[in-house]
Amino acid sequence: MKETDNVLRILQETRDAIEIDNSAIIKDLSNQTINTASLTQDPDNIAVAVIVYALSKIYERKDYRNLPGWGKANSLVKGALDKSIMDLKKNDENKFRKDFEEIRIALEKLSGRLKDYVADVFRKAQVNKASRLYEHGISMESTAKLLGVTMFELAEYAGQTGISEVHGTQTMDVKQRIKIAEGMFK
Amino acid sequence: MKAVEKVLIFDSSSLISLSLNGFFPELKELKKLFGGHFIIPEDVKKEVMDNPLNVKKFELEALRLKELMNEGILELPSAIGISDKQINPITNEMMSKANNMFKTPQGNIKMIHDGETACMALGRILENKKIEFAICIDERNTRMLIENPEAMKELFERKMQTTVKLEKNNFAFFKGFKVIRSTELMYLAWKKGLVKTKANGKLLDAILYGLKLNGCSITDGEIEEMKKMK
Repeated sequence: MKETDNVLRILQETRDAIEIDNSAIIKDLSNQTINTASLTQDPDNIAVAVIVYALSKIYERKDYRNLPGWGKANSLVKGALDKSIMDLKKNDENKFRKDFEEIRIALEKLSGRLKDYVADVFRKAQVNKASRLYEHGISMESTAKLLGVTMFELAEYAGQTGISEVHGTQTMDVKQRIKIAEGMFK
Repeated sequence: MKAVEKVLIFDSSSLISLSLNGFFPELKELKKLFGGHFIIPEDVKKEVMDNPLNVKKFELEALRLKELMNEGILELPSAIGISDKQINPITNEMMSKANNMFKTPQGNIKMIHDGETACMALGRILENKKIEFAICIDERNTRMLIENPEAMKELFERKMQTTVKLEKNNFAFFKGFKVIRSTELMYLAWKKGLVKTKANGKLLDAILYGLKLNGCSITDGEIEEMKKMK
């Protein structure tokens, strides 16, 4: 795993944010893994970015907390986070991967509306993080493969963001590009 | 086989923007005007037709793209006498060059994948055969690699907050490709009256923003400039 100390810090702060019920902090933490994820394309960093982002979306929906199954899932998530943090402190990466995956498993065990919401959140978390990697300069195809999403999903999502407006990324005058197109169709 | 005069290579991102906007009738009309071949490498076919067939949300798009293949609008490189055996070694070499071009203290940035690289590899083969070609790419990063790797380096440094050293010897592998986007293609279709609709007034605006909002990397400023060109 790359930058283990950073991942450990993010997980500890995520756990603290859950305790004080602040989903905005969790969302911000999920973005902090993206630099490492795009630089190294390390699967652990990518998994942390996706799951922490998904947690931010799940914990921001306070209305779901009254639904059956929430209490159990919540304590399983906290337990799995605690175990993951301990694993990293002991430098046991294999156990970390297993325990960290327990977060997703705990949430996917939910039933009814919560189950559907969680499934949707995880899919959207993958697409969101894929678009952040694309924004960082990794190609659309590489990003889609790394996150396990289709290029259609990524294009649709990235198109709604401001990625194409990022300063310094226009590489040719539009008139010149139209000339190329016209030249090809002469 | 009839001599191949010109080729337009499509990468996945451009086909996706066209597909999500329902611009295949216009693409068919453009093909008639073009008088050459619209080619997609096998890796692009996998990405836009084979993989999405397993995702319900995009199954229809994948089927429609398959139909374009069946109708001969889109063709594989074999249609112009180029085999995967010729493309693959160049793809591998170019992918290795691109993915070792931007060096950081944390390692080299792996920025591109097979489909995008195969389009450029095919381009190199066409160049050697002296066949006129352009590549239609909507995604920003591969286009920047081709047209301005220095700007790509700056983007990496800014976004990843690290220092990036450029392997300038690798520039040559990507230099010189003519690149257009789905927006330029559809601008031509609009200009030539190929976009059949009774709507008027804001049609070009609608076409260009439709493509942008479905993944084509074009700025608002570029769109406004294109609208003024009419």
